[in-house]
Amino acid sequence: MALGSMALGSMMDRGGAFAAEPTADATNPLAAKPPHFAPRAKNVIFLFMAGGPSQLELFDPKPKLQQLEGQVIPESYVENQRFAFLKKDAKLLGTRRKFAQHGESGQTVSECLPHIASISDDIAIVRSMSTDVFNHGPAKFFMNTGFNRFGRPSMGAWITYGIGSEASDLPGFVVLQSGPRGPRGGSPNWGSGFLPTTYQGVPFRGKGAPILNLDNPAGIDAARQGDFIQAVNDFNRLRLADTNDPEIATRIAAYEMAYRMQSSAPELMDITDETQETIDLYGADPAKPSFANNCLLARRLVQRGTRFVQLYHTDWDHHGNPDTELKGTLDKVCTEIDQPAAALVKDLKRLGMLDDTIVVWGGEFGRTPQGEPRDFLGRDHHIEAFSMWLAGGGVKPGVTIGKTDDLGYFPVEDRVHVHDLHATILHLMGLDHLKLTYRFQGRDFRLTDVAGEVIQKLLA
Amino acid sequence: MRWPKLGLVLSLLCLLSVLTLHASEIDYVGDVKPIFAQHCVKCHNTKTQESGLRLDLGGGALRGGDGGPVVVAGDAAKSRLLAIIKGADDDVGVMPPEGEPLSSDEIARIEAWVAGGAKVPQEEMRLDVESDHWAFQKPTRHTLPNTKHSTSAQNAIDHFVRARLDSDSIAPSAEADRATLIRRMSLDLLGIPPTMAQVEAFVNDARPDAYERVVDQLLSSPAYGERWGRHWLDLARYADSNGFTRDFGREIWKYREWVIAAVNSGMPFDQFTIEQFAGDMLPEPTLDQLVATGFHRNTLINEEGGTDQEQFRVDAVADRVATTGVVYLGLTLGCARCHQHKFDPISQREYYQIFAFLNNCDEPNVDTPSPWEIEQGVVDRRDGIRDQIQGKEDALAAKAEEFTKRQLEWEPTIEPEFYRTLPGPTQAALGKAIDQRDDIEKKLIVELFKTTDVAREAFPLVKEIADLRAIEPAIPTSMILRRRQEPRETRIHRRGNFLDQGGRVEPLVPSVLHPLRSRTRKSSESGLETSATATRLDFARWLVDADNPLTPRVIMNRYWQRFFGRGIVETENDFGIQGIRPTHPQLLDWLAVEFVDSGWNVKAMHRLIVTSATYRQASHHRSELAEVDSFNKLLARQSRVRLDAEIIRDNALAVGGLLSHKIGGPSVHPPQPEGIYLFTQDPKPWNTDTSEDRYRRGMYTYFWRSSPYPSLIAFDAPDSNVTCTRRVRSNTPLQSLTLANDIQFIECARALAREVLSHHEQAEASQAKLMFRRCFAREPNDSEQSRLKTLIDAQRKAYEDAPDSATALIGAEKPGTHDVELAAWTAAARVLMNLDEFITRE
Repeated sequence: MALGSMALGSMMDRGGAFAAEPTADATNPLAAKPPHFAPRAKNVIFLFMAGGPSQLELFDPKPKLQQLEGQVIPESYVENQRFAFLKKDAKLLGTRRKFAQHGESGQTVSECLPHIASISDDIAIVRSMSTDVFNHGPAKFFMNTGFNRFGRPSMGAWITYGIGSEASDLPGFVVLQSGPRGPRGGSPNWGSGFLPTTYQGVPFRGKGAPILNLDNPAGIDAARQGDFIQAVNDFNRLRLADTNDPEIATRIAAYEMAYRMQSSAPELMDITDETQETIDLYGADPAKPSFANNCLLARRLVQRGTRFVQLYHTDWDHHGNPDTELKGTLDKVCTEIDQPAAALVKDLKRLGMLDDTIVVWGGEFGRTPQGEPRDFLGRDHHIEAFSMWLAGGGVKPGVTIGKTDDLGYFPVEDRVHVHDLHATILHLMGLDHLKLTYRFQGRDFRLTDVAGEVIQKLLA
Repeated sequence: MRWPKLGLVLSLLCLLSVLTLHASEIDYVGDVKPIFAQHCVKCHNTKTQESGLRLDLGGGALRGGDGGPVVVAGDAAKSRLLAIIKGADDDVGVMPPEGEPLSSDEIARIEAWVAGGAKVPQEEMRLDVESDHWAFQKPTRHTLPNTKHSTSAQNAIDHFVRARLDSDSIAPSAEADRATLIRRMSLDLLGIPPTMAQVEAFVNDARPDAYERVVDQLLSSPAYGERWGRHWLDLARYADSNGFTRDFGREIWKYREWVIAAVNSGMPFDQFTIEQFAGDMLPEPTLDQLVATGFHRNTLINEEGGTDQEQFRVDAVADRVATTGVVYLGLTLGCARCHQHKFDPISQREYYQIFAFLNNCDEPNVDTPSPWEIEQGVVDRRDGIRDQIQGKEDALAAKAEEFTKRQLEWEPTIEPEFYRTLPGPTQAALGKAIDQRDDIEKKLIVELFKTTDVAREAFPLVKEIADLRAIEPAIPTSMILRRRQEPRETRIHRRGNFLDQGGRVEPLVPSVLHPLRSRTRKSSESGLETSATATRLDFARWLVDADNPLTPRVIMNRYWQRFFGRGIVETENDFGIQGIRPTHPQLLDWLAVEFVDSGWNVKAMHRLIVTSATYRQASHHRSELAEVDSFNKLLARQSRVRLDAEIIRDNALAVGGLLSHKIGGPSVHPPQPEGIYLFTQDPKPWNTDTSEDRYRRGMYTYFWRSSPYPSLIAFDAPDSNVTCTRRVRSNTPLQSLTLANDIQFIECARALAREVLSHHEQAEASQAKLMFRRCFAREPNDSEQSRLKTLIDAQRKAYEDAPDSATALIGAEKPGTHDVELAAWTAAARVLMNLDEFITRE
């Protein structure tokens, strides 16, 4: 019997009948696996704008809202609606931002995002996104896992579970973070839920060693670490011969991979080997962690075969307090992300990687047409309609999908639910969202739960 | 006239019918049931209860559906059923939605039946669901089967396992060697390895009951309560923080202590259950019994601003139902929250009937002083200070008007830098005018104002209160359940949406299972309250009723899984229709009966399993079985099982001689790598312990749900957000990095090297052998011995050339004369502590 199939058997022996599906290389559950059908894309970079960016300030202009500013929202809109902070009698708030059409496609983007406006012809803007839950934590889980509570696998975990990763020296699913604080909800946002932990996102830190425990302990240099790995594997081989437990072969492979990661991860994080022109394109600064650095790192990760990269940037939660208002605070966060996000698309394109890479930009929800009764301009959480954009990887460029009503409250055309977005991304990756399942507690689970339709209009 | 508005012709027709059909003449079985059978039962039957309504039996029509009653006996006009079949209901279109509509004569017959009091015969009232599914039948004690290998069988378990092996002509494996056995037993029962002395004593013990002696010794060790207590905490989803986005800390470690003590004391499993579900409802409950109810307080709490608290309370109750279903019944009850269970005979109504049992408690925290805190007057002192504070608070309240005035003067003067440091909810409250704030928000700002110099100068009382608070002794608290004085009504949540409530339900158990036997009875002597409806206490008793076909099977199966790496029912959390059938059904039933008959004696069951020959087999893979039983389901050998996350560290600490044996107490903060909180909304306090608490068992490590201790998560510790009935065992490079480089494991390697080198009297080869035996209990073979020697020699040579590195590796402040030797042995210890065998129970 071949060692490969024995190793698989053992993996199931340890992990239960629901452990990973057969892999090409049974000692590496992250080895690349064939998708369900020919894919349009190989990688995903998800720029997660944590807190809920205001679509009404950025992508979805509403002249009517402007006219009705100060009036109480008609009751027909808000009956049966729930809000985090607003009362039903909240007053409508027009935007203070100017919008213009850009590029040959003539897509509408506000003055807040001049760089993203400059890639209008490369992106598809979805104005009719909708989600189910209106608090940050649950909504983030929903956007990441298709479920509003902890415990389900995230999209990156599902995808690496489905098709593995091309990276031999780096994790298949990496998470980076920038902004004043981490995303609400923490690790379950990139968790593997009931899938094996092999598939969970690995947070890379912007400062120091990117991965926990990546550095050798004090007193161990590269040569001693080499001795160490060699000795560990020698002893493990002796035990493998004695017990015949193929799990030990998997462990040997894991140590080899860990050792390679110790040199590949720092090499990845060191962006000083990029040209000054590239660093300037992103507005990165090798000495200072930032969203710009992370965008550049995302490109480097994808170049090295990492399947799914997720960048969190906080904070877009603009309620209207001194530090969370839709003027200066919004300007600040837009400045932080605008140039780098656009640079990522431009850079991928000129390197010929955009065709293989889906870039997704958006948050867990949007913001209400009503203003909040606070000291400064602000809006509450809005789940019925908000905007996201996607680029590359088989996404149709230069189109706007979906339309909202005059107030920007509900979608009136082509509503795209979070489950639909998930189904579409999986589809572009060559995965059928109905077939990518995992049996847990007697039920076949999937990322899209019991819903989800591929958005044909988004496909190139 | 009772008639709803109808077309003239139709009314006439109906009138005519009623004239001919007198209510008294209508017979349900003869006149009405056939109508239901023809038009309704396709969607309203036992299996498919659309809208929770059954019309296959008359009792179903009388019971009603998710939206409430559909028949009001004697009043057709108020009966929704009539409105619906006439197409006059606002919410539901005319029924049936497809096929032939009801004729006017049929409608008239139903109407007459309702008007006449909607009588149905008794046999139509039995709405019980029956199922022949194996797990719903009460287990019986099967006679022991014969086996070819009966002479070496130790107990009943072996008869069942070996009879099954016989049928495939497979011989069981030989017993493992004693060093392996004692390490296996110690790790399984205690989660710590045997000491060298214990290994030696057992290996050299020629008495026939040497094995059983070790088992009994281990079962009486206090570490047993920690090991098996931690297994229970997996099920209880225990953690030290509230979860969701803000994830503030919580205090519930007294519950953990309770679990450990209960396991160690051998508390019978039925009592263990009753105290956790309803300790507060027992007569004159002790503080311990109150603490026990923390089991169902381990649910998440969302403290994010702008949340609907009722939504998250409902989610918590739903989690309690789902947890109870999986932990006790092996049923995925949670599936019936939004709709009829897709596979198992559990209706959505029944889901909410169980929900009703758990929907009737308040969720307070109680003081849980230790006996010494009471004896030494700490509690009295605290109460005295609280009285003083109250007096001053009252005095301050008398100046409320002035206070508010000053506060409003102060608010606009808040500096932006200070503002930025405030938590989100406080910021949100400040953003509102005072009359827009709710009570919580008002209090937030008042408390904030009280911390300012402005307030303290204007109101000396503020400072006096703060000073008293500072010296008020902290008494530990714990989170408990307490029965609600005013019962909360439970209604079905249509499609699981708590904002869309349907018919009211009473607490009841699923009809496919054994009936609810005990009711909390009226009894002034026992102190139990009168109860018209069944209570949480009744429910607890029902879970551990001797007639329960599921609980003893599910619990025994889970024990089995912990000892063999896999359950007899592999889907340990699903004994329903979709679950995998048991590999050894008779054995499982035998164990379940034995468990109940033993008086739910957990230790006796553990003893039974570990003393079986099946448990004692070698775990080496057998090539001839690779094809026929690659997953080892037939148990022709033991399994090699990777240690649980906590045990990997406990084992390393114990081998290094660092492990603290202190039991219980608040959670601790061992060293963790930098930068954990870059990825959470709020950084968590983590003051790394330097004393004994640095080396406590992993089960005491403070567990933040949003950012758990990294080495625990790397090795698949549960995230504690929902119940975990089985841990996955992954095998990843991040685990390798953790074991190889994490400072806590380096400390263990250093300690092991020091310990081994302290045996100066021994030759180097013996020292090397000693190190190996401390790690694995067994002797190294020749190849291992020689590889170890090569390793130590090479490391010594390398560190001779780099003495600074040697000093760094051993963690010394300044160079010493033995650094190179110690470093070489530390490097070797580090290798051994990274081997697969080190983190595997063989």
